Amino acid sequence: MTEFLSYAIPGLPYGCVFALMAVGLVLTYQTSGVFNLAYGAQAYASALVFYVCVNAGWPNWAAFVVAVVLVAPLLGLAMDRFLYRFIRSARVLVKLVSALGMLIAIPSALALIFGNQQRLAPPALWLPPGSVYFHLAGDAINGTELSTVIVTLAVVLGASLMSHFTQIGLRMRAMAESPRMVQLAGINSERVGIAIWVLSSFLAGLAGVLLAPLFADLQALDFTDLLVAAIAAAALGSLTSLPLAFWGGIGLGVVQELLGGYLPSGTVLSSGLRPALPFVVLLGLLLALPGLRERWFHDDPLSRCDPPPPPMATTIGGYGFKGALRVARWAVLFAFFVSCLTWVPGNWTFTLTQGLAFSIVFLSIVFLTGMSGQISLCQASFAGIGAFTCGQLAGHFGVSVLVGILAGGALAALVGVVVALPALRLGGLALALATLAFGLLADNVGFQFSWSGNGDSGVNIPRPEVGSLSFASGKAFFVLACVLLAACSAVVLAIRRGTTGRELAAMRGSELAAASIGTNLAKLKITVFAVAAALAGIGGALYGSLQGTVAPDDFNSLLSLVFMVVVVTTGVYTVEGAIQAGMAYVVLYQLLDYLPSQWSNLFPILFGLGAVTYALHPEGIVEWQKRRAIEIVADWGKHPETVG
Amino acid sequence: MALLEATGITKRFGGIVALDAVFVAVEPGEAVGLVGPNGAGKTTLFDCLNGVQHLDSGEVRFAGRRIDRLPVYERARLGIGRTFQRLELFAGMSAREHLMVAERVHRGDGRLWKDLIGRARAAQPVPRVEDLLAELGLKEVADDPIESLSQGHGRLVELGRALVQDPLLVLLDEPSSGLDTRETAEFGTVLVRLRDRRATAMMLVEHDLDLVRSVVERIYVLEFGKLLASGPVDEVLEDEAVRRAYLGDLR
Repeated sequence: MTEFLSYAIPGLPYGCVFALMAVGLVLTYQTSGVFNLAYGAQAYASALVFYVCVNAGWPNWAAFVVAVVLVAPLLGLAMDRFLYRFIRSARVLVKLVSALGMLIAIPSALALIFGNQQRLAPPALWLPPGSVYFHLAGDAINGTELSTVIVTLAVVLGASLMSHFTQIGLRMRAMAESPRMVQLAGINSERVGIAIWVLSSFLAGLAGVLLAPLFADLQALDFTDLLVAAIAAAALGSLTSLPLAFWGGIGLGVVQELLGGYLPSGTVLSSGLRPALPFVVLLGLLLALPGLRERWFHDDPLSRCDPPPPPMATTIGGYGFKGALRVARWAVLFAFFVSCLTWVPGNWTFTLTQGLAFSIVFLSIVFLTGMSGQISLCQASFAGIGAFTCGQLAGHFGVSVLVGILAGGALAALVGVVVALPALRLGGLALALATLAFGLLADNVGFQFSWSGNGDSGVNIPRPEVGSLSFASGKAFFVLACVLLAACSAVVLAIRRGTTGRELAAMRGSELAAASIGTNLAKLKITVFAVAAALAGIGGALYGSLQGTVAPDDFNSLLSLVFMVVVVTTGVYTVEGAIQAGMAYVVLYQLLDYLPSQWSNLFPILFGLGAVTYALHPEGIVEWQKRRAIEIVADWGKHPETVG
Repeated sequence: MALLEATGITKRFGGIVALDAVFVAVEPGEAVGLVGPNGAGKTTLFDCLNGVQHLDSGEVRFAGRRIDRLPVYERARLGIGRTFQRLELFAGMSAREHLMVAERVHRGDGRLWKDLIGRARAAQPVPRVEDLLAELGLKEVADDPIESLSQGHGRLVELGRALVQDPLLVLLDEPSSGLDTRETAEFGTVLVRLRDRRATAMMLVEHDLDLVRSVVERIYVLEFGKLLASGPVDEVLEDEAVRRAYLGDLR
């Protein structure tokens, strides 16, 4: 018993932080219908501001007031007023992508403002972390743990008193039950909604400041993991119950520490499973709780009303004009190809080859999301599976790298089939969260073994050789990448043109009607996930072979989110969109490399804000601008005299 | 032998008995109506017949085969077509594409490898699709995005999507809702033509009794999940109990 308690008690502070976040998440989801994935970033923002203020010599209370009482609610309020308010009744994908954009943009914006140096030993909020106050079941209780538990209890007590004994508290509770009924009762639901965002953002800020001293240094990635833990806790309360979400958070923190205590130490199981617990719990809950699925399915009746997408750039203009465009397109491709083989400097050829590899990975997102209407937030993990398979086969069994790339794609496809099984039952937000949990699981456990991703040291992947033909040189590898990309594009285009492509479009339009004309949705979804995973795997293996060595961090789950955001920003409906995304991704990165290092943060900010425009231009910014340009040219072709 | 024979159909949602031991049968090529007040269980019955909902008890036989355990798509492939009360169209596709995809699925052209080796040819006009578009009066709007079509055209596209698969039975769920009088009359003409061809049996859920009278020969009346009456249209609609259920107690 004493042993049990001595393992369980250190989990309480974590549990408190999870619980605060879970409660805040449920509050806003219940009242606004937006699943605020940027919540972890909000917590990070407060923790960072607190750190900066304390390091500037401010007293703790002043730093707390600025970071948690001012900055956190203002940030949340800004997001609600300028973004979430407008997309409440939008499709799941729109909401998700907008929130993802914020999740990616906020930490980078902060790094741009405050610099991205390493921040060691985040300061404690209240009681000093060094001093031990008392011993409980053999655990030395230090200031951080004690203050976390006390502050959480105080806040929860205060919040429940407020919700039961004040007018605004009553309205907030009513709003969390049913926003529509509150409106019908003649209450200004907008104002209550604002109060809820303020409260929820305050909770995020508090959780962030409380969590920070539990880590050795302050990193944005830790707060994404915190977010997933909070989602898992919220899912324990079916995303509706505040008390259940709270106790779910506490329980999750305690169980996590218990696992750390009882599992044999020093193995991958204990170092991997403990941090992975929230993802496992989330995945299990999504699959097991039918209530959760149902709720997420019939989220909002309005969410299915979707205005028709504008015509693609390629469909504008008469036949002669289309022909001219096609010639121009091929000419650009040809010029690109020849340039890379002749005058382009080696480091840029390398960058562009990276772009080709990413284009193949992005093709998987175009196929999955743009063409089939499915959501996956783990495509980087599939790329990783492809790369590691290729490297391990080449390293241990001497398999030719070209064969290894294809084998990587094949294994990724197999895993894709497994991931597709939840997709058969889940949709929309639930599917997105399930794939996110899967990606984090691959990160934290799957890729850590010596036979898979080999942890931090990574896996070597040589350049391919076929007989006397070697692809070791940059230019030869560039040609190989071009050929592979062309082949993958051809596969996607062939599927799109054929019956399967039509069925995919039908499924995207209405699953019910697609089934009623005889489409086997289960088979179709499995096919989609398998093909998409194979594409990502091939792209990842190619990328690995280009780099020479790849580690799990090259395919971390945050990257999956970035991929999604990049592709929807540039254009998610066309093969061209994937290639544009791949090129934009690497070229922008390379260009920002010429600027002072802090400016590299501009990259996620640009794409993060780009994703926010997705709500207005679902076809993608690049596609939208291209269409405008082509329309102007087409108009000019018709009336040359009017455009001057 | 009846084409469709559903016996003892019972469906509960929690404590609500939506369908209580309902019996319906449709002969090959026959046009049958299904009427009843709102909430009587008409759409639920359709959902049970084509597999969107699972039965709690009862048996559905189609063309001599038990189908009540089959998934939706297999029942569709056996020849049960359907339209929806709330339009279920494929967003982003034109009317012609709706019919094309249904026609291709019907031909069993959906194999992935066929697409990959280019066996399935790109958009070439399919005679069956073009004929149907012409017959339903959809030629002019065939290439417009489906979202820009009127409700009436949307209903016709749904009908065409079902008919292009040459179903043995088509379930029509309130085709006149959202249509004006002229559009309803036009829709009726299409249905009468379909009935007179006697190739496709149809079951029509409808509130517009004029439309029902002009199309169907036999009728079933549902009330609160129970079968209230059945028989030839004119007889049943004169029946006292049916009038009460439908029009309310007039005294």
